[in-house]
Amino acid sequence: MDVYNLGAGEGIYLDNNATTMIDPKVVDAMMPYLRTYYGNASSQHGFGLPVDKAIAKAREQVAEFLGAEHPDEIIFTSCATESDNTALWSSLWSQKGKDEIVTTDVEHPAILQTCAFLENHGVKVTYLKVNSKGDLNVDDFKAALTPKTALASVMWANNETGDIYPVPELAEIAAERGVMFHTDAVQAVSKIPICLKDTKINMLSFSGHKIHAPKGIGVLYVRRGTRFVPFMKGGHQERGRRAGTENVPYIVGLGVACELAGQHLSEVNTRIRKLRDRLQEGILKSIPECFVTGDPQNRTANTLNVAFKFVEGEAILLMLNEHGIAASSGSACSSESLEPSHVMRAMGVPFSAAHGTIRFSLSRFTTDEDVDTTLKVLPGIIARLRELSPYWKQNKPKIANLDHDFDENSTEVRA
Amino acid sequence: MWNYSDKVKDHFLHPRNARVIEDANGVGDVGSIICGDALRLMLKINPQTEVIEDAAFQTYGCGSAIASSSALTEMIKGKTIKEAQKITNQDIVDYLGGLPPEKMHCSVMGREALDAAVANYHGKTYEQSHDDGELICHCFGVGINKIKKAIWENHLTTVEEVTNYTKAGGGCGSCRMRIEEIIDEVWEDLEKCGVPRPGTVQTPIEAKVVTSTAASAEKIRASLDQNTESSPIYKDVVKILKEANDGLKEDGSGVELDAIEGTDVIVKLSGPAAKGMIKTMTLDFLAKKLTDGTGRKINCVAR
Repeated sequence: MDVYNLGAGEGIYLDNNATTMIDPKVVDAMMPYLRTYYGNASSQHGFGLPVDKAIAKAREQVAEFLGAEHPDEIIFTSCATESDNTALWSSLWSQKGKDEIVTTDVEHPAILQTCAFLENHGVKVTYLKVNSKGDLNVDDFKAALTPKTALASVMWANNETGDIYPVPELAEIAAERGVMFHTDAVQAVSKIPICLKDTKINMLSFSGHKIHAPKGIGVLYVRRGTRFVPFMKGGHQERGRRAGTENVPYIVGLGVACELAGQHLSEVNTRIRKLRDRLQEGILKSIPECFVTGDPQNRTANTLNVAFKFVEGEAILLMLNEHGIAASSGSACSSESLEPSHVMRAMGVPFSAAHGTIRFSLSRFTTDEDVDTTLKVLPGIIARLRELSPYWKQNKPKIANLDHDFDENSTEVRA
Repeated sequence: MWNYSDKVKDHFLHPRNARVIEDANGVGDVGSIICGDALRLMLKINPQTEVIEDAAFQTYGCGSAIASSSALTEMIKGKTIKEAQKITNQDIVDYLGGLPPEKMHCSVMGREALDAAVANYHGKTYEQSHDDGELICHCFGVGINKIKKAIWENHLTTVEEVTNYTKAGGGCGSCRMRIEEIIDEVWEDLEKCGVPRPGTVQTPIEAKVVTSTAASAEKIRASLDQNTESSPIYKDVVKILKEANDGLKEDGSGVELDAIEGTDVIVKLSGPAAKGMIKTMTLDFLAKKLTDGTGRKINCVAR
């Protein structure tokens, strides 16, 4: 096994909140639309017809999976980021006079960076705080809504901790106040049951590659009756709500992936949940000075985020990778940014632990052996890195006559 | 995933000298838990010879921070303090076979730890030995002097590069405009030292009027010498060229100092060494000797 060149069938993939393996059944369903049916759905000839039918079927599969009342409430986009951008812009463009947005501190950058841009252009954005477990206060949400609020956007589940937010309840509150409600449901779809017709959610975003479909395909659900202005203009596709020739093979793949996700939903909440819990207990039992971040009572069944004090996340990931184990980290060094995860900071996780957070995210392809191997190698990795860390002082000789020392609680900022 | 060199991976997975030296007499602590990397360098220095007899580290940080620390200890062991201090952050990078651009600050931190450890050996505290100057980046606590040093030594030209080397500007970004100004200030000085600034027209050097009389030609020679003599590397250059000259004498060649302009050393070659391929080889040899001896990247040309 070349640990620097891993793919399907190799290694131990515990990074399913980042992306997932494409289900071979999804690939099979897509192939005819790559090899044979290349027509344009808009064409008035025999090449267009099978393609048009395939898109219609996929739309029904997605609507069925989300519990949407009508298939025409499903708009295919290129990714959840596009869906999020569309929701934010559309809410402002379609409701002249409303120029406020309510969201949270722990959203995905697709929401946060778009909001930051809108703020620079005169939109007032209110960011709701979370507590140390990452939970929102519903009263704060109520208080933030005003007659000028164009959109309230709250993620359904957090990508780093798996924390689930009471989205149906928040959507109800927003509807009572006449406020449009959007949710970024990328991490909730395929993990918790969703039935949109039983809620007051106006818009919902998710993407294919988090549910075993390929990258490059997303969905924006727009409830009938929701005012909408397209983000992408220049064509009549998707009933004029998203211009651009349909990405047919990927749309077909997403339809099948949704159907499969529906079939496997109970497995995620039984077998996968048990595996995740076993991984968590094993880590907490065998490794000192670590803790679970987020809300252990209220999170997606596949996600476990653990903070290891006094060691740095990227170093842990590199050593895990030597064993072919893939996870991810909220540390500054493992990302392109220089600061630790905004989610960990929003929850007030101390810096001594925030840089050492590791997220393990499982999927229906995760096995018992995957968890066994991880539990076997992880304690050694943490112990090894702590041997190297000046903040870990246990069982180490002391330097004579030292007039200064590293302090884990230091507030000194020095790069 | 970062694309690390094999040498970085090796030093990360098998760090050298990762331990505590209980009787260390020079201990340098740099970095902080908030910024996500911290390094303690421990030195055992012989007070008579000032030779670093042992070096070890403890590092909290990413793979390249650990690898840079490990490399540094290997590079300085057995050297005198003076020799060790000639090492630049770029030398650490070269030793490791390169670092990703975003990780250059790991090598800068290693180099800082060496300064801090030597200061500690001399009985000075971190604060006494570190004049950070005006605080520029509040997110990562980076002072102007560290930024200037990184620009000067590594010839950085963009804010992004400064962030890669020092982290400054990598947080809220409000200091980026100020960093842009600092880059300009440092490059004005670099250009004065004869370093051409990439992508810009060089500041013209004032023309010297040369007249044909022998007397005024003498005067120009004298004024050149004055500039040369005031160069901070003048003494080292004279010494190195004298040694080289002693070697060249054997086949009837010779080398003489003509002038020093910034990091350009201009020499006069004579005998067989002044011609053809031997000339090129001699100049390359001299440039290497001068670079090693002065701790600066010297360009050696013949007049």
